[in-house]
This record gives sequence, C-alpha cells and structure tokens, in this order.
Amino acid sequence: MNPLLLFLILLFPLAAAVVNALLGTRLPRGAVVATAVGGVALSALASFLLWPLAAGEGTRATLYTWMASGDFSAAVEIVYDRISAPMALMVTFVATLIHLYAAGYMEEEKDYARFFALLNLFVFAMLVIVLSDNLLLLFLGWEGVGFCSYGLIGFWYFEERNADAGRKAFLVTRVGDVFLGVALLWLFALTGTLSISQINEAAAGFAPGTLFLLSLLLLGGACGKSAQLPFMTWLPDAMAGPTPVSALIHAATMVTAGVYLLCRLFPLVSLSPEAMAVIALVGVATALYAATCAAAQREIKRVLAYSTMSQVGFMFLAVGIGSVSAALFHLFTHAFFKALLFMGAGCVIHMTAGENDIYRMGGLARRDRLLFWCFLIGALCLAGAPLTSGFFSKDGILVTAFASEVPLHRFLWGAGSFIALLTAFYTFRLLYLVFLGAEKRPVGAHRHHLPGVMRWTLVPLAALALLGGLFDLPPLYGGGHALREWLGPLAGIGPHLPHAVEWLLAGVATSIFLLGWVFAHLRYRIAPAPGESLGARFLLSGWWADRAVYTVVVRPFGSLARFFWKVADGRLIDGSLHTLAEGSNVLGEGLRRLTTGRLHNYLTALGWGGVVMLAWFLAGYLL
Amino acid sequence: MNLLPDITQGASSFPLLTLLVAIPAVGGLVCFFLRRHAAACRWLSLISTLVVLALSVVYFVTFSGQGGWLLYEDYPWIERFGIRYTLGLDGISLLMILLTALTQVLAILVSWRRTFELPLFFATILFMEAGILGVFLALDLFLFYLFWEVMVIPMFFLIGVYGHGRRVYAAVKFFLYTMGGSLLMLLGIIALVIIHAGQTGEITFSLPALQGTVLSPETEWWLYGAFLIAFIIKVPLVPFHTWLPDAHTEAPTAGSLDLAGLLLKTGMYGLIRIAFPLFPVAAQASLPFLAVLAIVGIFYAAWIAFAQLDAKRLIAYSSVSHVGLMVLGLCAWNQTAVEGSILQMFNHGITTGALFIMVGMIQHRAHTRDLDSLSGLWAKAPILSAFFLFFALSSLGLPGLNNFVGEILILIGAFQANPWWGILGMAGVVFAAAYTLRLVKETLWGPPDETPEWQDLTPREYIVLVPLAALVLWVGVYPAPFLEPIREPVRLMLEGGIFTALNGGTP
Repeated sequence: MNPLLLFLILLFPLAAAVVNALLGTRLPRGAVVATAVGGVALSALASFLLWPLAAGEGTRATLYTWMASGDFSAAVEIVYDRISAPMALMVTFVATLIHLYAAGYMEEEKDYARFFALLNLFVFAMLVIVLSDNLLLLFLGWEGVGFCSYGLIGFWYFEERNADAGRKAFLVTRVGDVFLGVALLWLFALTGTLSISQINEAAAGFAPGTLFLLSLLLLGGACGKSAQLPFMTWLPDAMAGPTPVSALIHAATMVTAGVYLLCRLFPLVSLSPEAMAVIALVGVATALYAATCAAAQREIKRVLAYSTMSQVGFMFLAVGIGSVSAALFHLFTHAFFKALLFMGAGCVIHMTAGENDIYRMGGLARRDRLLFWCFLIGALCLAGAPLTSGFFSKDGILVTAFASEVPLHRFLWGAGSFIALLTAFYTFRLLYLVFLGAEKRPVGAHRHHLPGVMRWTLVPLAALALLGGLFDLPPLYGGGHALREWLGPLAGIGPHLPHAVEWLLAGVATSIFLLGWVFAHLRYRIAPAPGESLGARFLLSGWWADRAVYTVVVRPFGSLARFFWKVADGRLIDGSLHTLAEGSNVLGEGLRRLTTGRLHNYLTALGWGGVVMLAWFLAGYLL
Repeated sequence: MNLLPDITQGASSFPLLTLLVAIPAVGGLVCFFLRRHAAACRWLSLISTLVVLALSVVYFVTFSGQGGWLLYEDYPWIERFGIRYTLGLDGISLLMILLTALTQVLAILVSWRRTFELPLFFATILFMEAGILGVFLALDLFLFYLFWEVMVIPMFFLIGVYGHGRRVYAAVKFFLYTMGGSLLMLLGIIALVIIHAGQTGEITFSLPALQGTVLSPETEWWLYGAFLIAFIIKVPLVPFHTWLPDAHTEAPTAGSLDLAGLLLKTGMYGLIRIAFPLFPVAAQASLPFLAVLAIVGIFYAAWIAFAQLDAKRLIAYSSVSHVGLMVLGLCAWNQTAVEGSILQMFNHGITTGALFIMVGMIQHRAHTRDLDSLSGLWAKAPILSAFFLFFALSSLGLPGLNNFVGEILILIGAFQANPWWGILGMAGVVFAAAYTLRLVKETLWGPPDETPEWQDLTPREYIVLVPLAALVLWVGVYPAPFLEPIREPVRLMLEGGIFTALNGGTP
C-alpha cells in the first residue's frame, strides 16, 4: 500500500470541516450532518483498512516540507505504528459514534453547521497529534484541539459564562503549551531535528540533568492538555459545552493527549528516573484531588469531569511507573466507558429538560431501561467492578505498581487503591441519586422525547466498555496481554508476580469496589441529601482552586495591566513627554512676549544689549 | 517563470523601480489637482495602486528563487554633493514592496465610500505609497532620508485631518516623535558623510561606499545611536512606543492599516538595511541590549493591551508586542531567526492590517469600538465574525496560520542564540492569547444587543478580506515562496556583505 494513503485518515475529517465551514449555512441540515458523520466514519474506515501498515516498524509518510530556514526544517510527516494505529482507530471509532449521537443531540440547534464544522476540525487536529512523527506538526494538532475546544465549549455563546469557560480552557492549556513549546525549541537545539523518532533515538546521548528538565517540560505540556495538577481548573468549567463535546473532548480524546504525548516520547522520558517519579506523583496527586472533588459535585457532568481528571491521573501514574501498555490500555477502556457515561448523561439531561443537579433527579431507571443499563455498564467500569474493562485496566496499573521494585511504587499502589475506593464511592453515589430513589421533580409536560440515535449509539459503546478488557486480558484470566504483545518493545515494563499474589491483589481490588459501593449505599440510598458542611463546600469548589488562581494570578495580572497602562505609559512616559512639550510651550510663550512688534521695545533692547556688550569688553580690557 | 527576460542582465534600460515609485506619485498629484472629481479620483487611485500591485507580483514571480540584487538603478542627481538617485531591489525589499502594494490597494478599497475631501484623502495615500516604496528601494542615504520624510507628511494629514476624536493631538505626537528621531538620523548621515569625505576625499551618500568608512569605536557608537533611535522610534520599541496607540486609535481605517502594515516596517527595514550594515561592530555589541528592550516590550505591551477598552487601541498595543518579537529575532542574528523576523514583518502587516480593517467594518455598523458596548456580534453578522475570529487566531499564533511560522522561526533561532530569549519569547504567546481572546470575547460572544439586523459582509468587503485570509493560510501552510526570496539577502547580511555584491559584479 502506498504510505501516502495514510493522509486520508487526516483528509476526510478536514475536508468535512472545510465543507461545513464554508457551505454549511447553505446546505440542508441532513447534508451537513451526513458530511460530518461521513468524514469521521471514512476516517475510521481508512484507519481500519490501513492497519497492516502499522505492523513491524510501522510506516512513515512525508507529504512535504512545511517550513525550512537555515538549518531548521520541519516536514509534514506522519507515522502509523504500534502506538498510533490503535490510538487512531479508537479516536475515529469513538468520534464516529459521538458524531452520530450529536446528530440527535443537536436536533433543535439552529447553528448546527458551526457545531459540526468545529467537531470535525477537532477530530482532524486530534488525529494530527496521534499520527504526527514531527513535534512541530504535533504542536499544530496540539494547539488545534485547543482552539476547537475553545470554540466548542463556548458554543452557546449567548451566555457569557460559556464563552468564559471556553476562553479559560484555551488559556490554561496554552500555559501548558508554553512548556511543550520550550521543550520543542530545546530539543531542536540539541538534536537539529524535530522528528519524534530521531529525537527518541538521540535521547540516550543527553546528559541526565537535560533529560530531567526536558521530561518535566514535556510533562508540563501534558498536564495542560490533560487537566492534571496544577493546570486542572479548566476541565470542570468546560462542561459548559454541549454534551457530545464533553464526550469527545473531555473524555475520549483531548484530555488523553498528554498521556499520549508521554507515551510517544517514552524512550526519552523513561531515561530519567526522577522525572518518571514526578510524573507518577503528579498523576496520583491529581487522581486523589479529583476523586475527592467528584464525591461532592452536584452537577452530573461535573462529577464526570472530575472523574475524568482522576482517571487520567491513573494513566499518568502508569506512565510514571514505566508501563506504556498499562497507560494505553486504561486510555482505551476509559475512552469507551467515559464516552458512554457522558453520552448517557446527555440523555439524562435531555430527558429532564436541561436539569443538571443530581439532587433534583432520581428514579430515572424506571423511565428508560436501555439508558439505565448502558449507564450502569459505564458506571461499573468506572467503579472497577470485577470483569469489566475498567477493572482490568485499572488493576493493570495497580498491579504493575505493586510488582515494581522501586520503593515509591509500593506507596503509589496504596494511594491508588485508596483512590479506587473513592471512585467506587462517588460512582455509586451518582447512580443512586440519578437513577434510583424517587423522582424529585415533576417532569410532566417538560418531558423530552429522546431521539433514537442518541439511545442506540450507547449500545456499541456499552458493549465495548463491557468487553474492552479483552484487549489486554492478563494471563491470570486466560488472556495473553494482547495489547502488550502488540506494542512489543514500546510497551515498557510489565508486572511479573506469582499468580497467588495476583489473585490476592484482584481480591483486594474487588473488596475495594464492594466497600465503595457499601459506603455509597449507606450514605445515598437512605439519606440522599446534599452536604452543607464547610468540607463539602470546599470539595464542591474543587478545593477553592479557582479562587486561589483568581487571587494569585488573574487579579494581579489585571491590576498590573492597568498599572502599566495608566501609570507607566500614561504618567511616566507620556507624562514626561507632555512636560517636555509644556516646557517648550512656556519657553516659546515667554520668547514670544519679547517680540512685541513695537519699535521702541526693540530699540530699547538694542540699546541695553549694546551697553552690556560694551561693559563686557571694557571689563576684559581693564582686568 | 521568466516574464521579464532582459531586466536581470546589465543595468536595465527601462527604469522598472522608478516606475514603482512614480505611478503612485503621479496618481497622487493628479488626484490633488482633480479635487472636484471624486469619482474619477477614486478609480484613478484604485488603478494606480492595482498597477503597482501587479508590477510587484510580476517582480515577485519573476525573481522567486534568485539571490542577490535583482534590480538596480543608478543616476547622478546632485553631483556637487555626490548625491545620486540609486534604487535597488533585493529579496527583502521585494517582500516589503509586495506588502506595500497590497496594503495600499486595500487602503483605497476600505476608504471607497468616504465623502469628506475624498480626492485629497486618496492623494495622501498615494503619496505615502510613493514614499514608502522609496524607503524600501533607496540605496543612497540622502534619497533614503528624503523618502523617509515624504512618507511621514501624508500620514500626519491622514491622522490630523481625517482622524477621529483626538486626532490633532495624535497627529502632532506622531509627527514630533518621528521628527525627533529623523533629525538625529539626519545629523548622523551628515556626520558620516563628512567623515567619509575626510578619509577618501569624495563626498558620497551611497550606502556601499559609506559602509567602508573607518570609524573609531566611539564615533561608531554615536552615529549608530543616532540611526538606532530614529529606527526604533518607528519600529516602535518600548519605551519609544507611546505615539503608536494614539496614532492608531485616532487614524481612519486606512491610516491604521498603513501604520501597522507599512510604517512600522520601515523602522525594522532601516535597522536591517542601514543601521546594522553601516555600523556592524556597534550593532553586534548592541544586540543583547536591544533583545532586553524587545523582550520587555513583548510583555509590557501585551499586558497593556489586555487592559484596553477600545478595540483599536488593543490591537495597537498588540502590534507593539508583536514587533518586540521581530526585533528579538533580529537580535538572535542567525539565519533562521532573521528570516523569521522578516517573514513576520510581512505576516504582521497582513494580520494586523486585517484586524484594523475589520474593526473599521464593525465600527461602521455598531458606531462604537468600545469593548464594553460591543457584544454578541456572531449572532448579528456570522461571516464577518468568522473572519474576525480567523484573523484573531492568526494574531495569537495558531499553528497552520501565518504568524505561527514567523514566530516559531524566530523562537528557534533565538533559543540557539540565547536559550532565555527563546523561553521568554515562547512565554509571550500566553500573553498574546490573553489579550486576543479578550478582544474576541468582548466583541463576538455574549448576548447580541437590541439594535436592528446588520448587513453581513458586502461584496466590496469580501474583495478586501478574502485575499488577506488566503495569504494568512498560504503562509501558514506553505511559507516556502515567501522565505525563498529572503534567504540569500539574509545570508549576505549576516556575513556583512549585503552591499559587496553591489560593488562588484552587479549592474
């Protein structure tokens, strides 16, 4: 097969985006939706058909030289290999389902062309990240998803709050992008290239300090896109966007871009044990932080947003302990079940006519069985119920941490297990409050019809979420670590434990799941009232992170801006110039008064002048 | 492609460069005398600028890929003082001329519907075009200085007569600032010529000849300082920038367009063409200090831009921030960064020019530029808003659009020169995002106001915006045609030999 065919994967969504952006307002709705869904579906088909190209060393394809100047050049080059191929397939497949779902979700939206154009452009940018074999091209995708999420989060721009949420997402992630950008400059200065494969090869020659700092820079970039500490504040607000956006951007694809970046550059990152420890710690800290926040949220989508943050933290942990395969496995299963949960949440919101507060829901299980079962599957995966995909992938990370010989990793296993407990707890809290118990609010006339396409797209995702464990089933359960085997040398370390210990750990994981369930049952099945304590408010606000950022960054930034404007520019620079001008003016005025135009004034002055000059010469002569 | 087969061989018989300067100058004169015939002047101006644009495109296409001096004209002028009429075109000036020609066509088009003293308005634009083209072509210092002054005067009237609110204040401020700088330059020119005459016995203003002047380090510093101040006022580099926000804000759209697109470029061009080659030692030593000013400028101006309430003022300050990055690229003094800087001069003209044009279109409809009053424009004019967003994204350096290419080349080069320059320059992008997104948010998003429906883009507005958008995308995706012409001149400049080619074999 011609390697250039790989560009088809990128071309289809891009072409669909361009068509919808330029002509969308003139095309009928059906054509717009068909273009959008078709673009992504064709891309999925292409990724699937081109799968053979990923075997072995993978396939590289170069389109042209993007820019070249002096000794710098960057090409539009992509690679289809053991990491990018499954990722591309996952992204395009989930995106196709989400696009279908969006066709139903946006049924009553007038501005659908803009929505679908942005959604397609987003998929294109995400695929650029996935496929790029050049850091500069990757950066294009990286910023591209940033822009698209900006446009999509603030899609309903009539409300300033939504537009602000979009702007926040763009700005906060861009702070992270600076770190990635600096890494890019540095890597070019070191290696003279931005090709990812060449950088990975050259990395072995870097000094340890350089490797450490470079890895931290890459981590900074990853943290921005993946909403990890300290750049996490944008994600909960990003829920202002339409729900398909949340599913696509904030569950399946964009937030995992950071993990993907670290996996792509794993040969470099893994050379610095200190940096790896930092990555793992950031992951665990974020996972813990987000899990505590999720347990106190009242809006259904914010619960899911925090849980996403937390789960991505697990993926960072996996990278940090050295297992690319565990990270990618969790990335895939999470993409399935979290997209499922978000899309389910969208159905819930649709059914309750825009209600977001889980304390005002309840009893929805009886209203729509299919929705309930699908959502339940997603929730069980998230909570880590045994034999679901989430169980295998999360356990894969924890077991690897446990099996490691690094002392820190044993501690991380403990922390991770505790977070798993929290996860099970808040997931069941969500289930109880939304689907069980009594209906809290009379829906009656507001009851919304749920378009069929929204319900039926849940089914394939539910199946994937349920069975996704098979992709990397450990030998303990009769599997062969298929993903691990496929990744081969790129997979990183794997767990090597006696079966007895593995069974024990599986037992621990199961008990944790059950324990979380029991806690949630005791607290929310019987007395489902929101907490009003200081602690609850603290968690609800995300540990007051927004307030802290506002006080420490946003307000001083604005004050300084006004200071520079009014004081430095206005009073200092312009002020001194005005004084200068004023001085010249006064001087001129003063001089003007001398030129009165009256002859006798001039003659008098002439006379006095003559006297002074005479006196001067006289004095010189005499002394 | 070779559309002009004979002009590269020998001194061209036909003065192709003079033609560039003469067309707008004559057009301006005619407009000046045909004050009563607005319609005729309108078309005449459009045609003159279009002819200049067509010529520049032809030159651009003909010479793409060729290094060295592409066209050259040299005639004695005031022989008593050794003043000659020397014009020369290399890749750097070629790019600037293309930008100038394009910008002036747009300046005419966006002013098409003005009524007040239209012929004189167009005459000033045409005179300015002649002056600016002259600046980009002159290789005789006296001639350069003449053009330098010629371009300032029309701008003074453009702001002072046709501007908004505080136009007189802004015009006078602009005039005094630039005059202060150019007087220093004039002193520098005279001193240099006298020193050169003392050494060789020959009075000349020719750049290649003056480059050979032997200067004591102290003298070189003084002379370099005089030129430097003149140029960085025009660039403008913080803290010499305060004329720009006032001038931009009060100028009519065409004036803002010319300021951003062209006048600022003459400052950078002066550094590249005059100050650095004439005083290489002092210039080299000054680069780190300039870099500090540039970096301070990037952040300082971005910071102020963030706080602005007037859309035009915001963009004006963003300009100051952007030129900071370009100067940083020059300071890095390597092929990649300097090519990036020059490309960025072009890009900035396109993008910022487009933003000023669009603010003009918004003001025309909303009768305000106040960011607090504007809101929800997307609902009222989606196509206009989409263009605005597009250019704003270009301005904040989104990859795939033009500004990113220039920025990344500058930063790559700057990092090689001094890692901190690269790091700080990169951090500037967050600031750029902060003010640009604020501009977009305050105008496009939010609830639309109650005023009646707006007309979305008119055909004339499409004609203005579509080419600009196409260029934004073209340079962003495939910058090679724009980088190619400047490669060789930049290499020569870095080696200090930009004029050697001129002395030796060329025409």
